[in-house]
Amino acid sequence: MSQSLVNIESRKKSLHYFFEKVVGPLGFKFTPDKEMMNFLLEQEVILEGRHGIPFCPCQPLRNDRMRDMQIVCPCIPFHRKHFDEIKRCWCGLFVHKDVLDPDKLPQLPPKEVNNE
Amino acid sequence: MSEKFIRAINADEIAPGGMKAVELEGNEIVICNCGGKYYAIERRCGHMNAPLDMGTLDGIYLTCPMHCAQFDITNGEALSGPVPSDIGHEIPPPFLGKYLQNIELLMKHVHTESIRTYATKLEAGWVQIRL
Amino acid sequence: MKKITVYTLSTCPWCRKTKNFFNEHKIQFTYIDYDMADEATQNRISQELDAAGANGFPYVKINDEVIVGYQPERYSKALGI
Repeated sequence: MSQSLVNIESRKKSLHYFFEKVVGPLGFKFTPDKEMMNFLLEQEVILEGRHGIPFCPCQPLRNDRMRDMQIVCPCIPFHRKHFDEIKRCWCGLFVHKDVLDPDKLPQLPPKEVNNE
Repeated sequence: MSEKFIRAINADEIAPGGMKAVELEGNEIVICNCGGKYYAIERRCGHMNAPLDMGTLDGIYLTCPMHCAQFDITNGEALSGPVPSDIGHEIPPPFLGKYLQNIELLMKHVHTESIRTYATKLEAGWVQIRL
Repeated sequence: MKKITVYTLSTCPWCRKTKNFFNEHKIQFTYIDYDMADEATQNRISQELDAAGANGFPYVKINDEVIVGYQPERYSKALGI
């Protein structure tokens, strides 16, 4: 549905509801940085308006369904090892449950993380 | 809209989290049980009229079975439109390919409208609806 | 002077911070918002990302050095500031 027709706040609220249930069992929670959370959810609503699917606002769409499905939010299951290492997902919408200060979590790519 | 509430269904017929379609005076309505609270919405999806009772209800959010448009059952608001489907990597035969392409072209112009809701009342074990 | 090219997404807050970093330090750079680019450019960038083993944006090139993710300390180091 085009972005102009959806109520952004309503859609953000419903995405929050659905996502929370998915990321909890994976050991993640929404970032305590509310401003960042709201910004990212809003970008996802925009992306959903463009493409019909709420993609990660910080990863590239490749025009290849197999690859693109791996960045549908929440994309944690497809990047579990990497995200568990940096204690956050790539865009930072989600962080490990024990994280109190998300600003201290650097955005390191897989290559720069210990195990890679 | 009349002032009268009419009996639609026995509350026991829908378990929490469940939905059931009823027809009341020519209106196709879906009654949802959301944690013991009953909501009533029009049956037809605001996208392409699929029967919403055949979709999924999670909390107050209903997902249409046909193209996965989502609605808030408390106010009928359309929250998202159709999710694009994937026909896979196998190239379809020309006539089917053209047909699917045509459908996709037409569907680009279809909006997802919010759906009508009906006031409900629980009385003596019956879910009542105001048409 | 070092050549700085940045690949970003219009939807990514870390990409904005990256652009702000260079702007605030008054460093010249060029950037391409991948999601706003034409198909040919997107394909080119996509291939470059794959070749570099990059998973996402921001993707910063300072001369030959590639830095993936918002890493202001590494930008400073690469620029010698």
